[in-house]
Amino acid sequence: MDDLADTLSRISEAVAAALGQADTPEAVEEVRRAALGRKGTVTRLFDDLPKTLAAERPRRGRALNELRLRIEELLRTRLAEVTGADQDGRLAGDAIDVTLPGRRPHLGRLHILTQTLAEVRRIFHGMGFEIVDGPDVETDEFNFERLNMGRDHPARDAQDSFYLSDDLLLRTHTTVVDAHIMIGRTPPMRVLTTGRCYRRDAPDWKRMPVFHQVDGFMVGEAITMADLKGVLTSFALQLLGPATRTKFVPGYFPFTEPSAEMYVYFNDQWMELGGCGLFHPRVLEMAGIDPQRYTAFAFGLGVDRQVMVRYGIPDIRLFWDNDLRLLEQF
Amino acid sequence: MKVLLSWLREHVDVPYTLEELEDRLPMLGLGIEGLERRAGDDAVLDLEVPANRGDLMSVLGVARELAAASRGSVRPPAPRVTEASEPISERTRVEVQDATLCPRFTARMIVDVRVGPSPSWLASRLEACGVRAINNIVDVSNYVMLEMGRPMHAFDYDLLRGGRLVVRPARPGEPLTTLDGVARTLDPQTLVVADTERAAGVAGVIGGGNTEISERTTRVLLEAASWDPAMIRRTSRRLGVRTESSARFERGIDTAGILAVQDRAITLMQELAGGRILRGVIDAYPRPLGAGTVDLRWASVRRLLGIDVPEAEGIAILRSLGFTVNRRGDLLHVGVPSFRRDVEREEDLVEEVARHYGYDRIPAVMPVEATAQGSVAPSLRADESVRATLVRAGLVEALTLTLTNPAALDALHLPPGHPWREMLPLRNPMVEDHTHLRTTLVPGLLTAARANATRGVTDIRLFELGRIFHGDASGVAERRRLAILMTGSTQSGTWNLPPEAVTVGFYQLKGVVEALLGELHVAGTTFSEGRATWLHPGRTAHLSAGGRVIGVLGELHPRVTDAYNLPRGVCLADLDVEALLEHAALAPRYAPVPRFPAVRRDVALVLPRAVPSADVAAVVRDAGGDLLEQVTLFDVYEGAPVPDGARSLAYALTFRASERTLAASEVEARMTAIQDALRSRLRAKIRE
Repeated sequence: MDDLADTLSRISEAVAAALGQADTPEAVEEVRRAALGRKGTVTRLFDDLPKTLAAERPRRGRALNELRLRIEELLRTRLAEVTGADQDGRLAGDAIDVTLPGRRPHLGRLHILTQTLAEVRRIFHGMGFEIVDGPDVETDEFNFERLNMGRDHPARDAQDSFYLSDDLLLRTHTTVVDAHIMIGRTPPMRVLTTGRCYRRDAPDWKRMPVFHQVDGFMVGEAITMADLKGVLTSFALQLLGPATRTKFVPGYFPFTEPSAEMYVYFNDQWMELGGCGLFHPRVLEMAGIDPQRYTAFAFGLGVDRQVMVRYGIPDIRLFWDNDLRLLEQF
Repeated sequence: MKVLLSWLREHVDVPYTLEELEDRLPMLGLGIEGLERRAGDDAVLDLEVPANRGDLMSVLGVARELAAASRGSVRPPAPRVTEASEPISERTRVEVQDATLCPRFTARMIVDVRVGPSPSWLASRLEACGVRAINNIVDVSNYVMLEMGRPMHAFDYDLLRGGRLVVRPARPGEPLTTLDGVARTLDPQTLVVADTERAAGVAGVIGGGNTEISERTTRVLLEAASWDPAMIRRTSRRLGVRTESSARFERGIDTAGILAVQDRAITLMQELAGGRILRGVIDAYPRPLGAGTVDLRWASVRRLLGIDVPEAEGIAILRSLGFTVNRRGDLLHVGVPSFRRDVEREEDLVEEVARHYGYDRIPAVMPVEATAQGSVAPSLRADESVRATLVRAGLVEALTLTLTNPAALDALHLPPGHPWREMLPLRNPMVEDHTHLRTTLVPGLLTAARANATRGVTDIRLFELGRIFHGDASGVAERRRLAILMTGSTQSGTWNLPPEAVTVGFYQLKGVVEALLGELHVAGTTFSEGRATWLHPGRTAHLSAGGRVIGVLGELHPRVTDAYNLPRGVCLADLDVEALLEHAALAPRYAPVPRFPAVRRDVALVLPRAVPSADVAAVVRDAGGDLLEQVTLFDVYEGAPVPDGARSLAYALTFRASERTLAASEVEARMTAIQDALRSRLRAKIRE
């Protein structure tokens, strides 16, 4: 019993001493072979294991395993010491110029308008809105009549439209989606849509005949202007930061009453985000919703202009130019 | 609309500095488009007037809003007419043929006037408001229009044939030279004010030169009428003439209050030009408008605004805006003044109260309606995942206009009758470039690529996911489409790398499409040789799914490349993204990760170049059976010692069983089967 401990510690010390003399990887390998090789001192002890008494075998086996682990650790440490200096010296010859440019993958990205629309949708989705989509081509009935703008309504002047036929036109606002969605549904509803709109404007720095809008509405039994302000203010804070100041001033839209325009203070100026208000009772009636029981707020926000102000883009036409030097800034 | 501050002060106390006004007016709903400071604490405010507020197109209307803001009242002009004994009815008569289009027509007459320049105070007020001074008679009618918001027209009585006025539709082809100097040919859609023989003016829009006031005029017939707003709007648009007059009439004017305007104008004319006012007014007003009333439940204010406005304050606001308010039980019985025809229902009154109580005093609160679960339309979700995948593949999203013109397709050499040529035309295009709806995204991306290449940007990787339009005037189909364009280097920092390894070609584009198909789990797609007039005839592939071609990709045809001034080798894909999504599985399912080791074997073969590698892979898969997990092409070689017209293809094959470690003998048996199949089915020579 003591015999065994003695033997083992002697072997361990002998290996340590031999390693102290071993200066090259080859010498370390020699030490390993002498201890752990096929005829090595430790291996032989393992070989003798079956000859020992069965009762002794587990204890002996454990002790031998510990010895082997100890020796392997000593070998590893010494090998690292003797090869370390040597290897670094060799590797120095393989040096590269780390200041040469990296091989950089091209990163993709979404158009800044798409990014903004996605952000807007995410914010409203977070406030429980249902995000829907609608077609670009609409009927005069839905785009105008059902939003309380008859054939000769002067407000149509501001929404000069491209017609495809007597009845079909390119939608002038995404509010038209509201008029569709409300039909056949029972409140409460909160719905948001985004998309392209069209107006007969000659292209210049601040207007394009194709532009983007966000439209949303909420119908319920107790929806008020205060709720409208609450939801839109929360939206503005989420989009532009918690310190954003907002302002609501009276406005006029044939499909809302009362109507308001929403502004946010940004880059040292009041920037108009869009129009809003409570849906005109006639609009609700035309959609089959009882205005005596329900009220609804609605809003339509311009996107392009807001992105221009937000990022300092001086000309709306740049959005459609697809110059990678601009697209890749965002 | 321009308003002079000093003129406003004449009619209302303005307890605000100019700076305060700039804040105050927008809060009342009067946006300020421009502000020009003038001498003596004066200023011209250019106001944005809502389309339903004709009454605000006047000094008095704006003054009324300011009065209400401080719950005060306005000072309207109070003319005192001194009439001569001679009655107007002996001099002239008026005949209105359509009282719907002309609900009211009034006339007064003043004789023995001396026409001359206006005094400078009046001329300068007109000029400040953007109206040119002409002579004292015309200037007074303009002045009163600016002041009271109701346009008028003065005729030289002696030039009116028959000495009377007729309101009637124009005769077909009837000529009239209007005051803007344009000789017009009218039609019966246009309403005119005429004498007994000829048109003397387009009703409510613009006067005629034939009866214009001049220095020789001594007798003036002054018209103040009311016209159907829709008719004025249509006429003004049809003739392409927008005047101060039409702008007011199309918003609707105060029909009931016309006589006050007549009195104001005729006395001012007398003051400036002398003369005698004939006794009486001609007033064709067959169906006088009743006074409007609207009942207001005070609780509605809270119901709509979400705040309690003190009722007394609300009543004060309405009264200072000119409404009358009487309580009838629970209701407020509100009398609507004749100049506020826009107020028709309770909601309109609540808005009046809100405007003057202050939108800023309405708190911002979150709705207490039942919480709703947000959702996103499946098509939007699908588009988002397509975009996200392409962005991960290093592509940049472009947006191009949905409006285009047929010439955009010229460079593509499309055959006649190609569906892209079936563009829907706009009926009323604005500019030459935007006359039709697009049927393809391809020209848009090519134009974007050209714009970049012209500016020296040569690494271009763009995609657009957008709508295209087909159909006719009876119905339009909108479909979502995806186009991808790639050219230039695959990465930046390509020093020392062989150019062929880092230049985008067909296979990079195909790789992106494959990555998209993989990411969207689109099942059962195949690539095969394809054709498109705008793509290189030997470097074009069709993408099919479910036996239908759903896209095309390839290298751009050199003649298209040249037409767009692009470098050679631009690659483009055009995919029907809706069809692709039909075959996609957007919600991935777990597939067990392999637990047992794989065995790799290679096979190299030589066969005619014309045999597509897809056929080889298909044979390998077929013969490999279930154990063959993956077939990866790793080498394509042509040249000695491979004979001419042939090529060598080398594949790495991975075998694996999902529930055990494969035995070498099983793999060898499969390899033999594969090699036999290649030999027998493709006549391939297996390289040992």
